[in-house]
Amino acid sequence: MLKGDDMETAQATEPAVRLDRVEPAIADRSDPAAVAAVQVPPVFQVTGLSVTYGSHLALADVTMDIRSKAVTAFIGPSGCGKSTFIRCFNRLNDLIPSARVTGQVLYHEDDLYSPTVDPVEVRKLIGMVFQKPNPFPKSIYDNVAFGPRVLRRKDELDGRVEMALRRAALWDEVKDRLKTNALSLSGGQQQRLCIARCLAVEPDVILMDEPASALDPISTSAIEDLMHELKTDYTIVVVTHNMQQAARVAEMTAFFSVDVGEDGQRTGVLVEYDETQTIFTTPADPRTEGYVTGRFG
Amino acid sequence: MRAEFQQDLDDLEAELQGEGSIVLRSLRGALNALETQDVELADEVIAFDDEVDDRYHGLEKRIEQLIARQTPVATDLRLVLAVLHSNMHLERIGDQCVTIAKLTKLTSHLETKRSLIAGFEEMGSRAEEMLRVALEAFANRDVDAARSLSELDELIDRGNRDVTKQVLGLAGQPGMQEWGMRMIVVSRCLERIGDNAVDIGEQTEYLVTGEFTEFTDASHPEGRAH
Repeated sequence: MLKGDDMETAQATEPAVRLDRVEPAIADRSDPAAVAAVQVPPVFQVTGLSVTYGSHLALADVTMDIRSKAVTAFIGPSGCGKSTFIRCFNRLNDLIPSARVTGQVLYHEDDLYSPTVDPVEVRKLIGMVFQKPNPFPKSIYDNVAFGPRVLRRKDELDGRVEMALRRAALWDEVKDRLKTNALSLSGGQQQRLCIARCLAVEPDVILMDEPASALDPISTSAIEDLMHELKTDYTIVVVTHNMQQAARVAEMTAFFSVDVGEDGQRTGVLVEYDETQTIFTTPADPRTEGYVTGRFG
Repeated sequence: MRAEFQQDLDDLEAELQGEGSIVLRSLRGALNALETQDVELADEVIAFDDEVDDRYHGLEKRIEQLIARQTPVATDLRLVLAVLHSNMHLERIGDQCVTIAKLTKLTSHLETKRSLIAGFEEMGSRAEEMLRVALEAFANRDVDAARSLSELDELIDRGNRDVTKQVLGLAGQPGMQEWGMRMIVVSRCLERIGDNAVDIGEQTEYLVTGEFTEFTDASHPEGRAH
């Protein structure tokens, strides 16, 4: 970096050909996610979302958009409502009798919580992978074929199963033993099988709630590679306890924290939502700073 | 929480400041040797650079281990990176002191021009002052003080230009040409030390704000965006 020196007379004159007029402006293209964000409308638009379990306000007033064809990570301490929040995207909280969701979730601009929307239809488009791999006690093939069979998409079933297993980066490991019981697979393989099962019904969004927290580092790495692969075609939302995982896989990161009320009630709040690199280099909120640096929370 | 990590970060900063102190000693030694044409002192300055280098490498090693083991992020990450860069700038200041000391030895038998030597003392004092300001601004996270370095740097740059003029004036004096040419390099070394102090100031601003900007930029002297 050249500082001021004694070469005052050697100042640069305006170059005849401006490089930035010859080449497309790099700043506009260097970040594909930023380009996509400008051009593609968000998949989800959440406005003033709150969730109560009975009289307990578990998550308060969340407003955020989820970017299309990108990985969005939710991080935060236990009890911050991040799992509660991700379950709002495929109406899984509907299955909890005491849960009540208020506010608005638009999915491709349609109200996800409209009385006319069938939650089962929602879950076809918005799949979910859980912390503990939960394959059915059936063969590998039957696990992946389960969704298409239920949805009566039985045409080309073998092709669908192979496609899903390939996309989940599991095909080469299981192609010779498709009739084997899925429970004989390792934990990491079982989790990829659950992702394949999810992909077999051709969803639009994949929700992942702590998908790698029960896995060893190698399997974790395989799942993270898979997220990178899948985000070209799917919108991925992931809840993780592992901050470095968020830093590695996500374009956008939301940090949730817990507010403790005067009555001791603990309520999850969205503290900060930004590009992942901003969250991990220059977070705006001191609570985010405290959490990502491991000082608090 | 993370008490050991915090201690590691504190240690990094303390070592950077320690390295800064010994670089200041090296600079003072080089300036004194230059003024008095003291060859022995010049040799001491040259030998003392091993100490600077040891600290430089030691700090780099610590930073490598800290990144590998603690994965710093946010302010911690910016601190580690700012120390990493400032460490390099300090080491370079040490090298400039060695160059001045070597030139002092090379010219110890030559006739000197007092007014030029006095000019070097002034430039050198300004360089010392800049390095002190840079180190304090870093320690205090004081962006205003860090930014003031570019104004101080202008004074050294002016001194450097004066030296060039004076040496050009020596061109016609037999026996002064070699000394004059060597002194142009000495002047350049002092000017570079000022630049390195500004570089450390820029790291302070990055540490505090997360934004890196060049306080002065010779390729865009009017301060245009780049």
